[in-house]
Amino acid sequence: MLWAKSKATIVAALAVLMLAGCSAVNMASGDSGERGLSPLAPLGEVPIPKDNPMSEAKVELGRMLFFDRRLSGDGTMSCASCHMPEMAFTDSLPISLNYPTTRNWRNSPTLINIGYARTLFHDGRAVSLEEQALFPMMSAFEMNQNLDFMEEEIREVPQYVAAFKDAFGAGVTRYRIAQAIAAYERTIVSKNVPLDRYLAGDVSALSADAKAGMELFLGKAGCIRCHGGAYMSDGGYHANGVPENEMVTDDPRTAITVRFVAKVSGYEDYENLTEDPGRYLVTKRPRDWKAFRTPTLREVARTSPYMHNGVFATLEEVIEFYDGGAGEGNSERLAPLGLSADEKRSLMLFLTEALSGNEIEVKYPKIP
Amino acid sequence: MDEYPGKIRLVIKFYPYKYRDFAHIAAQAALSARSQGKFEQMHYKMLAESPKLDKASLMRYASEIGIDAKRVAADIEKMTDSATIERDKKLATDMDLFNTPALFVNGRRILGNVPYEYLKKAIVEELDALGKK
Repeated sequence: MLWAKSKATIVAALAVLMLAGCSAVNMASGDSGERGLSPLAPLGEVPIPKDNPMSEAKVELGRMLFFDRRLSGDGTMSCASCHMPEMAFTDSLPISLNYPTTRNWRNSPTLINIGYARTLFHDGRAVSLEEQALFPMMSAFEMNQNLDFMEEEIREVPQYVAAFKDAFGAGVTRYRIAQAIAAYERTIVSKNVPLDRYLAGDVSALSADAKAGMELFLGKAGCIRCHGGAYMSDGGYHANGVPENEMVTDDPRTAITVRFVAKVSGYEDYENLTEDPGRYLVTKRPRDWKAFRTPTLREVARTSPYMHNGVFATLEEVIEFYDGGAGEGNSERLAPLGLSADEKRSLMLFLTEALSGNEIEVKYPKIP
Repeated sequence: MDEYPGKIRLVIKFYPYKYRDFAHIAAQAALSARSQGKFEQMHYKMLAESPKLDKASLMRYASEIGIDAKRVAADIEKMTDSATIERDKKLATDMDLFNTPALFVNGRRILGNVPYEYLKKAIVEELDALGKK
């Protein structure tokens, strides 16, 4: 299970921290989601919710649904449209693909290791993959599907009816559609990357430069403050002052999306909103204004562009951003890091070399 | 095209969105302009004026770029080039393409509305690979 680790693993992780000379820093707890500094750790098994146990039949059904364009209103979009396996389960765009004639407003996050995430979406508005799966289907600017209609579209296909019987012993419902997709998504896993092997005791798994980068990650650069734990995310929300992306602020079609999301989120002044309020839309708490969920850093080299709005095209730009003390008005009180060019290079090596695994093989289904 | 003269070639295929009222007649208007030697001008004019692409607007754009608007109207009426449009739509379906714009830079697939710098990077890398930069 996710939080269960062997004693040897914990010892290895603590040893890394001590090697780096990094002392544990207690972060403020509460809304930002931090629960104290978590050391890096090898990735364990994907947690499986009790009410949606895995089975081969369910995963296969989920795989078919994931790639099926019936899940969108006009039949042009599937989950895979924005989470393409060949692009590390993203769409590699700064702002994610959109339903025809509309515009999206945020970056499409990778689904690699998504089964380990505590909450979903950049603003964390879903607490399970089962809950998450239906949001884009209903979203006017993503898949724009009517869920009652979708259930009937799926029920019309005999192969799907049989597959639901195999997987659930029951018929088609929107919730079972979401459960099947969630089960498939929990199979999209990258572990045993060089960092995992290093933490498990294989000291040759990282190059000397990558080890130096890890020490910076744990120490001077302070990345561990938010990107700790096996999943390399504190699951919290942070307002780091990420600059606006002009693709969002300058496109009138995106302005429609901004106001629409704010309106359906109960934001009173939605008519005048021109920016992304982030987590605030979910909680309405002032301290969550423009706060976004900490993403995992596993496989980060393959998931450009970066940040909730894809404003940084490369990891180098992200490192420069944090080296400069993050963005204007960041509520995390992040100070400039003062990294040298060599240190930035080492940090970059750690992020790319230590956290990247083998390409995930995907079996494309035959859509009935 | 302006930045890399003589080094890149742009090939445009039609993929009128099925639920847009004027997408098919706009594709026809572009092909009609092509038969009068002004495809590019009509293409950019329509992009600038979108979504005002009803027949009367298309005729006005034709006049503004200096082609025979009545001929464009007649082509729209008959959908003179529907075979070309349908051929391109079939190509998209066969390639499992459903999003516009869908760009291919020497086979490298780029879907969606991407910033120029993003596209430029792909072009530069492909030119580099061919030793053309």
